[in-house]
Amino acid sequence: MDFIKRIIFSKKTILGAGILLLFIFCLYPFITLLWKILFPAGEFSFKFFENVLSSKSTVVALKNTLWVSLGTCFMSTLIALPLSWLLTRTNIPMMAKWRSWFCLPYAIPPYIGAIAWIYLANPSNGILNNFLGQGFINVYSNAGLIWVMGSFFYTFVLLSLLAALDRMDPSLEEAARLSGAGPLRVFFQITVPIVFPSLMSGMLLVLLAAAASFGVPALIGNPAGIYLVTTKIYTLQKMGSMNGIFMAGALSILLLIIATAVLIFNQKILSKNSFKTVSGKTARPSLIDLGKAKAPLTVGLIILFIILFVMPLFGISVTALSKVQGKFEFSNFGFQNFQRVFFETHETPRALMNSFKLGVMAATATTLMGLLLGYINKKTKLKGRSLIEILASLPYSTPGTVLALAFILTFSSNFMGLPISLYNTMGMIVIAYFAKYLNFSLRTTSDGFGQIDDCLAEAARVSGATWWITMKTIWFPLMKPALMASWFLVFMPAFSELTMTILLTGPGLETLGTLIFQLQEYGDASGGAAAVLALLTVIAVGMINYLVKFISKGKYGL
Amino acid sequence: MSTVSFKNIKKAYDDLVIIKDFSLDIADGEFVSFLGPSGCGKTTCLRMVSGLESNTGGTISIGEETVSDPSNKIFTPPEKRFVGMVFQSYAVWPHMNVFENIAYPLKVQKHNKSEINDRVKEIINIVELTGLEKRMPDALSGGQQQRVALARGLVMKPKVLLLDEPLSNLDAKLREKMRYDIRKIQQDFGITCIYVTHDQIEAFSMSDKIVIMNHGDIIQMGTPSEIRNNPANEFVSDFIKTQH
Repeated sequence: MDFIKRIIFSKKTILGAGILLLFIFCLYPFITLLWKILFPAGEFSFKFFENVLSSKSTVVALKNTLWVSLGTCFMSTLIALPLSWLLTRTNIPMMAKWRSWFCLPYAIPPYIGAIAWIYLANPSNGILNNFLGQGFINVYSNAGLIWVMGSFFYTFVLLSLLAALDRMDPSLEEAARLSGAGPLRVFFQITVPIVFPSLMSGMLLVLLAAAASFGVPALIGNPAGIYLVTTKIYTLQKMGSMNGIFMAGALSILLLIIATAVLIFNQKILSKNSFKTVSGKTARPSLIDLGKAKAPLTVGLIILFIILFVMPLFGISVTALSKVQGKFEFSNFGFQNFQRVFFETHETPRALMNSFKLGVMAATATTLMGLLLGYINKKTKLKGRSLIEILASLPYSTPGTVLALAFILTFSSNFMGLPISLYNTMGMIVIAYFAKYLNFSLRTTSDGFGQIDDCLAEAARVSGATWWITMKTIWFPLMKPALMASWFLVFMPAFSELTMTILLTGPGLETLGTLIFQLQEYGDASGGAAAVLALLTVIAVGMINYLVKFISKGKYGL
Repeated sequence: MSTVSFKNIKKAYDDLVIIKDFSLDIADGEFVSFLGPSGCGKTTCLRMVSGLESNTGGTISIGEETVSDPSNKIFTPPEKRFVGMVFQSYAVWPHMNVFENIAYPLKVQKHNKSEINDRVKEIINIVELTGLEKRMPDALSGGQQQRVALARGLVMKPKVLLLDEPLSNLDAKLREKMRYDIRKIQQDFGITCIYVTHDQIEAFSMSDKIVIMNHGDIIQMGTPSEIRNNPANEFVSDFIKTQH
């Protein structure tokens, strides 16, 4: 018994089992995708790529994706760059609070924003158009698409810049100030060039996120007839024919190639030694006194916050509470929509339950895996441990649509010659979430392990504790905050996931995300139901975020 | 209580040789110090006794038992060696109080509750921590944490007690008192001790025998007075001198 126990709980067994699992869930689906598309009948063929590239609509979708992504990237930078300066280098009031609030959209699924902006700015009865005149703003347009995505994805640039600006050696800027440069000149001539790799990296992530985004283009682009690669893949897959799936697969591979190219480029930028001047010191630079500009800048900040955050939230709330849409009277408000969503729509309880179950399973599985693999990664010198990070980051950086399609092709039938079919089951969704979010857990736990000194475990070993008991009595309790943070960091996006779920879902498998999507897209003409669920999602995300922040004493969370 | 013997110990990471050929016999109940500049391999030798590191050649025995002999594929894991160890950074577990920290070795070795209670109380008395049983480590001074670490190393009545620069994080006054206390406890217990330090005052004031090391080699060994009166070479006389 002892012998068997020792083998099961040995580090090498765990690493081996871990890498096997990672291989199955993080690499094998991509191999299957490539194999099935490139060798459709056992022979190499470019047939599906030719089909895809000769179809006018997919070429248009590729072009649309490019322009919308670039536009989103531009808008994100335009918002994030001045914001990062204001929130790190000046004496703007309530700096810490503003930082937290402006980063919050990072945690909210963008399709919620799409719904909000549809309520605010649809051409027929959008709330803003009621004031400004019918059809004044039309969200169903390229500009609308870019606007909504930008209003979420600017957080990628912002977070990247805030981290770099906080780490930067303040004496570099102080030297420029003493040389006679004014604050803005210092920012653009000294600060921006030094944090340029971080800025670039944030911008590339936006490019990638926009190209991979599904919810916003589906809800806003489709009604306007603007199709992106992701929505095109969705349409092809939902056609149901084998040919459709293979076309979708070929398009997925193209998207995957673009994404990989962007990521490799990003890696190149980050690995260039431009970070040299950014030290690890925590010394704070002296904050720039805004003087007379303080009041107008604060007002500007408030207005930006209202436009990006308060207005959409207002739009959702008003819609959720309106008995009849578009009528702006006090007597029109009530909780009828809540009543209808929760007690008269039989999918709602099922969807909430499913999302909850999926979130719990995904968060628990990734966190446990993260604990074991994070340990191997940070605290052992085993050969092959570097594979862990590489494998786990593959699905994470793959567009969700592509990942879902790869999982459908891999696990629908005959997995590795075994008669396993996960098609239309919850199991399929769970493993897809597991693959997608494992990287979150792994990073959080690796970080946690990195901060605990080895001698604490060594002291347990010489006290007579085996490796496994040391894990249970020393590592596990000390890692608790990191593990809880990891759990919620996975639970949060999994609970409201849409992009992958919409492709993987089947009858009776509604989730919060797919239900909101369907209510908005097809059912519920009067519109209030999706708003109710969207509102609850935002509240839930906000609460979980502050819980994570509280548990981890501000280390994790926004 | 046990003897410890090193026979032709080698330690290398790929091409990097840390310990070339280290042989040493430590008698039962002896207090031996490994003294040398940082990077001389003294801590590595200590950790090889505990099993936290493995030698790549030679044999290490604790008492009658060979705990490590790579050529015969013998390696006893640290939890089966029953040695006590006191770490430089104390390694007091922040999530356990004083009592739980000290009781831990007995708990994982599945002693019964009343026995654990008695032995922990006894050892807490010896290291003068009475009354602090329920304190969490973050409410202890450096000296108190040091005593917790010492008590934890002694509580299971180990065959050997290993100390890795235990006093280097304490202030000068406290260090003097701890030197005296550690030596006294060692003699009361009659326990075999290996003490790693770069501070020659510690080595000369506490040890029965001193092993002076440099670059993974033993330069000289002997009693404090032997070394003081007959330094083997310039390195030894320099090393003794420079710190005064």
